[in-house]
Amino acid sequence: MPKKFIISNNIRTLRFFANEMTQQSLAELTGVSRQTIMAVEAGKYSPSLELAFRIADVFGVTINEVFSYEVVDQTGKKK
Amino acid sequence: MSYQEKRTIANILTGAVILIAYCIYAFGKYQTGGVESGDIEFWASTMLIFIGIGIVVAIIVQIVFHVLLSVSIAVQKKIQDANFDENEIEKSINAEMVEDEMGKLIGLKSERVGYVTIGTGFVLALFAIVFNYSTVIFLNIIFISFSLGSILEGFMNLYYFRRGVHNA
Repeated sequence: MPKKFIISNNIRTLRFFANEMTQQSLAELTGVSRQTIMAVEAGKYSPSLELAFRIADVFGVTINEVFSYEVVDQTGKKK
Repeated sequence: MSYQEKRTIANILTGAVILIAYCIYAFGKYQTGGVESGDIEFWASTMLIFIGIGIVVAIIVQIVFHVLLSVSIAVQKKIQDANFDENEIEKSINAEMVEDEMGKLIGLKSERVGYVTIGTGFVLALFAIVFNYSTVIFLNIIFISFSLGSILEGFMNLYYFRRGVHNA
């Protein structure tokens, strides 16, 4: 059975600590639409590696500090 | 509602209006007895005309949509801050209309639904020929499946923009 991964992110927290950066500003800095930033933040879209690096670069942190993943089993329990 | 969703709704409406207009014109003419049932030339020329009309209307709708959207963004920015200069307004318009990786992925996923619809329509049309239905039925099934495929593609776009999309 293939394992399921859940990718979560800290974008909301990072925006808060970046002087309450708006989603629109982050979108402009990363070259995507606000809709995409909203979807990434809500976990509705897994960004490409390139976009993930660009988001991390905007906040001046490593990609691991923005995104993290958890392995869950078939019943949905975290491992 | 985002720019992509508004644009998709404009596309769906355009496609639906063209399909309805075709059905009203062509089937209306057929029902009133203006066309013989086997007149392939009439159906082919009508379809060609409506394809042409569809392309022209889609282009016009997109131009009008972009103009209206740009004006509404500019007005919104001016209301928010009267000192907004034109460069900043242009920057906001460009930021709103950006086509990015999520939009492209959603486009690809939605196109697949469109192709499946068109493919299904083609197979149905072939079955119609096998079961001795007229060529007119064959042509109409193909034409309507193209139109429905385009409309369904739009609805799938909206669905993915709302629900989200993952690469896997």
